[in-house]
Amino acid sequence: MVGGLALLVFLYLPIAVLVLQSFNASRFGGRWQGFSLEWYARLFQHREVMQSLLFSLQLALLTAVGAMVLGTLSALALHQQRGRWRALHLALVTLPTLMPDVLMGLGLLLWLVSLNLPLGLGTLWVAHVTFSLGFVVLCVLGRLQQLDQALGDAARDLGAQGLQLWRRVLLPLLWPGIAAGGLVAFTLSLDDVAVSFFVKGAGESTLPLRVYGMLKMSRELPIINALCSLLWLFSALMLWLASRLWRRKMAH
Amino acid sequence: MLCSIRRWVLGLLVLAMPALALMLGLGACKPRPTLRVLTWADYVDPELLRRFEQRHQCRVLLDVFDSNEAMLARLKAGQRGHDVILPSAYALPALLADDLIEPLDHALLPHLGEVDLSLLPKLPDPPMRHAVPYTLGYAMLAVDAQALPDAQPTWQLMADPRVQGRCTLLDDMRETMGAALKTLGFSLNSRDEAQLAAAGELLLQWRGQIAKFENEAYKAGIDSGEFKLVHGYSGDLWQVAQQNPRLRLILPREGLSMNCDEMVLARGCTQRALAHAFIDFLLEPEVSAQNMQFMGYVCPNKGGLKLVAPAFLKHPALSLEPALRARCEAIEDLGPDLQKYNRVWERVKAGR
Repeated sequence: MVGGLALLVFLYLPIAVLVLQSFNASRFGGRWQGFSLEWYARLFQHREVMQSLLFSLQLALLTAVGAMVLGTLSALALHQQRGRWRALHLALVTLPTLMPDVLMGLGLLLWLVSLNLPLGLGTLWVAHVTFSLGFVVLCVLGRLQQLDQALGDAARDLGAQGLQLWRRVLLPLLWPGIAAGGLVAFTLSLDDVAVSFFVKGAGESTLPLRVYGMLKMSRELPIINALCSLLWLFSALMLWLASRLWRRKMAH
Repeated sequence: MLCSIRRWVLGLLVLAMPALALMLGLGACKPRPTLRVLTWADYVDPELLRRFEQRHQCRVLLDVFDSNEAMLARLKAGQRGHDVILPSAYALPALLADDLIEPLDHALLPHLGEVDLSLLPKLPDPPMRHAVPYTLGYAMLAVDAQALPDAQPTWQLMADPRVQGRCTLLDDMRETMGAALKTLGFSLNSRDEAQLAAAGELLLQWRGQIAKFENEAYKAGIDSGEFKLVHGYSGDLWQVAQQNPRLRLILPREGLSMNCDEMVLARGCTQRALAHAFIDFLLEPEVSAQNMQFMGYVCPNKGGLKLVAPAFLKHPALSLEPALRARCEAIEDLGPDLQKYNRVWERVKAGR
């Protein structure tokens, strides 16, 4: 009991301090100088931070969709493959999940530059899909292996064909795995620093890179506290919503 | 039935996501020329950026770096597409050696005369062929005047027993070794191994005294009273002093390190006219005055310094006497001799 409580304090005290500091009027957060919503107001006026937030969300959505589509296809292929080629395929797909980000970022950058491709949203998308693909594959593959093979046969017996079989039977059954993989891809894309640092090019910055760049020089560091507090609130809300939906589904 | 509706909604969401993302992307790009600037965070007043965008019917896209080394790494690896970069002066030789910047066209910079070169000793590019100075700052000390009411302007404060465990040094090899070299009366660009070893010994003494090597949290620390003496940058310390009257800024009489950030044109810059217009805009006296009061760093701008608020003229970077200014040095690129610094610094950090 005491241990659990200590763990909770250990996990949440830093976040509590962060949230508290986001309301501190002091620019340096050294001492409490009164309650203030100034940093929240400044956050919404800080054009670069808001742009980066939108850009990161956009990139994370695109990454999730790309990884879900490719990952599902790859998992379906893996499920049917047998033998040596399957092992190679699985290794190649999951290798990027284990590779150090810095190596991958630098490698991708050298490759993209040698191809003379303009760096930007496109290259970021390719890179993010690459490192998150493996997670979707593993999620969907797990789901596929749990699946009763007879379900597909039964559907075919009942006259389902091709697209219909896929849309009415397979996709709904696989959906929890695909969605879980997509969520992981979304999260990974949203907080990636190392790979994005290399392949982002001269254009928009992603949010983590913007925050990282602000740490050393910014005159307005407390707006980062405000931003983190809001993101934290947002994730807590999403979790609460997801658990409610889940519970209702179980009740059915 | 209900179940299938939910499935439809889910399917629609999946289809809508790329469309939504695309819309967000389209919303961001308007058919106006874009100027891409690579700079430190919050290093130009956003209000001035809006003004520049209106005047030139363009869009300014700010890309940020947190250290010169990170910026150099990106450019050296082959990233292109920036128009203007604001690096520190000591990064210039590296930028030039790898051919990463382009010469400036002085005909497009009518306000170039505003730059006060007398404030800037020993710059790497004095005729401003490639780089125009943007800001000027020093690494210096600040004390809590209640803890040390009689603080003398010297680096020796780092050895004062009253600040035992309550002081910080910058976690920056060149700045901190520079402070020790200056204390001993040597150049902070010394290549002499004996001098460097002596500086290392001094730093080891100081190391037993300090709370930690710190680049960021010293501001909050001296503000709250946790630290009594900190080594930091003039712009940062000036900002804390605006909020905290107990803070006293110290310009050590042995001399200081001077740093200057520059404005340069990136290699492969596609908006040459706009990039020059941007550099010239930041040199306009009125713009420069507003900008330096926003960032807390001094711009070496003759007209701009006449327009700033009287309080700003007390800025430590401006209150240097000529004799002290003569003892200040810019950190220079030492090429392979940097290894000598690395060796001493590793020993200091390890405490051996």
